[in-house]
Amino acid sequence: MICCKDLHVTFNRGLPTEKLALRGIDLTIPMGEFVTVIGSNGAGKSTLLNTIAGDISSTKGKILFGERDVTKLPATGRTADIARVFQDPLAGTCGDLTVEENMALAYGRGKRGRLSSALNSNMRKVFREQLSRLNLGLENRLDSEMGLLSGGQRQSVSLLMSALQPSTILLLDEHTAALDPKTAALIMDITSQIIAEKQLTVMMVTHSMRQALDHGSRTIMLHEGKIIFDLSGEKRAGYEVKDLLNLFAQARTDGEELDDDKLLLGA
Amino acid sequence: MSLFSFLGTLEIGLIYGLVAIGVYLTFRILDFPDLTVDGSFTLGAAVTATLIVMGVNVLVATLAGTLAAACAGLVTAWLNLRFDILHLLASILTMTALYTINLRVMGKPNVALIMEPTILTPFEGLFGLPDMYMRVIFVGICAVAGGLLVAWFLRTQYGLAMRAVGSNKRMAQANGIVVKQKVYAGLALSNGLVGLAGALFAQTNGFADSTMGIGTIVVGLAAVIIGQSLFASRSMYVIVLSCIVGSVLYRIAVSMALNADFLGFSASDLNLITAVLVALALIFPKLRKEWKAKQAARNEA
Repeated sequence: MICCKDLHVTFNRGLPTEKLALRGIDLTIPMGEFVTVIGSNGAGKSTLLNTIAGDISSTKGKILFGERDVTKLPATGRTADIARVFQDPLAGTCGDLTVEENMALAYGRGKRGRLSSALNSNMRKVFREQLSRLNLGLENRLDSEMGLLSGGQRQSVSLLMSALQPSTILLLDEHTAALDPKTAALIMDITSQIIAEKQLTVMMVTHSMRQALDHGSRTIMLHEGKIIFDLSGEKRAGYEVKDLLNLFAQARTDGEELDDDKLLLGA
Repeated sequence: MSLFSFLGTLEIGLIYGLVAIGVYLTFRILDFPDLTVDGSFTLGAAVTATLIVMGVNVLVATLAGTLAAACAGLVTAWLNLRFDILHLLASILTMTALYTINLRVMGKPNVALIMEPTILTPFEGLFGLPDMYMRVIFVGICAVAGGLLVAWFLRTQYGLAMRAVGSNKRMAQANGIVVKQKVYAGLALSNGLVGLAGALFAQTNGFADSTMGIGTIVVGLAAVIIGQSLFASRSMYVIVLSCIVGSVLYRIAVSMALNADFLGFSASDLNLITAVLVALALIFPKLRKEWKAKQAARNEA
């Protein structure tokens, strides 16, 4: 479904601050697979997701969705296929607009902006149904301003919004990292439900090794812009967090203390 | 205030209601502070007046003035979107350039329309109404119709997308909204409305002048702020129409200040009064917040 071929991304190309963010990613994700992506800060996880989404254009290589080459397509042209949830709960929704207006925007994702009314009673019915799944009482707050909701509530709504339109790919960029453990668990629960329901192809970036192993069917680790290992199947089933940490330690060549990583990644 | 001057005040307030709606679109909806309007108000007036003097049909002339002003908005948007020039600076550049362009369009500092037909000519003497009343009714209908159209537009899918662009660009993009296109459209619409106001102003007042646009942005902003502080609502219709009400109230306040002899203001003090009014309106919400915080702290202690 998603196919990256020798994908390179360089920031500030030709300048003294040049940074090689992705250095040759070859990755094929079949339809319906749920891949978790781990790696230290600056490894290129978010860059990879943003490049697949089209926010960042690649300097070399190709991206294909199925048979379709989307390498040159801007982000807005890929939204018919891709739904996203960001790490920052404020990033995925508009604080100045109401809950229903936000949802209406997602409902129109991938369609052209038209001069028909943005909201109608049919949509409101769908929105109410979807919001009631959260058990947060948001189905009665359709006309509340999004800015009045808590971070967890906003993230929950972003997640529902990502599933309002049929899409084939879901990109999750540490979407539970900014939430308290209880809300994070709720969000992860609904995420799994949505993925199973819609049979989505998923990439989830996470800093939590536990989450990376508990969810999905495949785990890749990025380091300095390259995929350093790719785990799936039975081998992955036998893995524990400490095994991941060991693998991670092996990959490190820059001599940083492992203890720091344990603090960062063991959680 | 005499009835005569009250009607005049009402008329100008209603015309500037269109300016206020334009300013609302850029400042509040798109979060794009756009000073182009100082130039595009005059451009709308200059193009319309010049064409009328040349003998062009008044409706065509008004439309041309409106479109010219919309193009000025596009230039500002282009400078900002294509070359990353800060929005405020981009609009100042366009505004500065427009000063010369307006003089070139008119060929002289001002054009008189006293003896020319205007968009109001067909309505003169209709139903035996005195011209003073007729003019107020005409510009009132224009302003309200413009307001209703804009409010309707903001409630469509396209309009909602434009509001999302002003609120959260990244989210808008992730939902397939072409951000730049919405900014172009918004600035064209905003400046078009302001240009239409300029065209109407020239025709109701009988002249276009190269300096008539100075301070348009501040007047528009004052109207938006007054309107929004009086009518707190989430309805687009209420918000947009409150811009017109704000504009009329602003004009009445200014005219009362100028007419009150004991205050000793003269017409040339207008800009200072306006600037102070707008500054106060902007400062007040912040001060109120600070007072409330202090009070809460005192209550806890």
